[in-house]
Amino acid sequence: MAYVGQLQRKFVEYTKSLYREGIVDKQFTQLHNLQDESNPDFAEEVVTLFFTDSQRLLNELTNALEQQDVDFNTVDAYVHQFKGSSSSVGAQRVKDLCISFRTLCEQQNKELCLRCLQQVKLEYASFKSKLESLFQLEKQIVEAGGTIPTID
Amino acid sequence: MLFRNKMELKPQVSDTPSQHQQQQKQEQREKHFHVLAVDDSETDRKILEKILSVSSCQVTCVDSGDKALEYLGLVDANHQDSASPSQSERSQEDGLKVNLIMTDYCMPGMTGYDLLKRVKGSSWKEVPVVIMSSENEPSRINKCLEGGAEDFLLKPVQLSDVKKLQPRLLKSFDQSCTNLPDIDPMTTDNSKSNNNATKRKALSPEPSERRPKMKELTVL
Repeated sequence: MAYVGQLQRKFVEYTKSLYREGIVDKQFTQLHNLQDESNPDFAEEVVTLFFTDSQRLLNELTNALEQQDVDFNTVDAYVHQFKGSSSSVGAQRVKDLCISFRTLCEQQNKELCLRCLQQVKLEYASFKSKLESLFQLEKQIVEAGGTIPTID
Repeated sequence: MLFRNKMELKPQVSDTPSQHQQQQKQEQREKHFHVLAVDDSETDRKILEKILSVSSCQVTCVDSGDKALEYLGLVDANHQDSASPSQSERSQEDGLKVNLIMTDYCMPGMTGYDLLKRVKGSSWKEVPVVIMSSENEPSRINKCLEGGAEDFLLKPVQLSDVKKLQPRLLKSFDQSCTNLPDIDPMTTDNSKSNNNATKRKALSPEPSERRPKMKELTVL
């Protein structure tokens, strides 16, 4: 039982740090609020879907920006999509970077866009890895027979 | 004292028929408030579907305006306008009921606004259409509202947004729904207050929506 308590404390601390650092925002909380007994993994399911979608979008963006003649409308459309989905799951930093990215698309600055894309990739990778750790913690708690604490 | 007894007695006297009717009405609502959700983002579709099913709606999700029109019978599989307007009417006659359309604004191909105009110009024009967008642009919002949109929601859409829509939408839904007589609001208020504690609230009108009808029940 002490082990479960330890895990639960770790979970609470980790979750709080994600909010504190702006990795996630209140939309992430909303996803958890939609969970219930019949669908206790809803938040994880949505975020996993987001991961798949994001990979596709990042590939498209890389491809679009590697063109000789970059079509900034296309790039902007993909960034808009990415901004939307990151906003929906509460990936705050990723979303904020997408907002800056769109401004750069408007300016049609290839160099800056490429740099921004790099930043987005890094930020996204960080988000992904942290959320995966969080979900892993949740699994450990459940496997150890505990319940996942709710955070205000 | 006498008044209080009367109040307590009433629910028991009218218990079985009115509670049963309320139950039936609730079930009908739960099974039959059908929302057509249109969004090209898979993530957003999943979230919206969840919000709506937690709100006790039946949900159909499609990923484009074209698919929505196809579903409604307004275009055929080749995306040609249905040969005759009667195809969509036939869908409705066959029992296809859509009580609300919720659509993203920004979609490749047909925008949510385009879809709104198509729906409003068709035999489905009575169905309320709510538009969702991540952009808080007053001109866009006005354009949609003037185009006949019921409401405009900012993304990310939340459970509270749908709850705010419910009373307005349910009023017309209830009126068109069934011949069941009005239910005693006092019994419904009691049962609803117990449900308030849970997060997942069934699709039910706020007590304030019921209050006007109490006037009709002057004789106890």
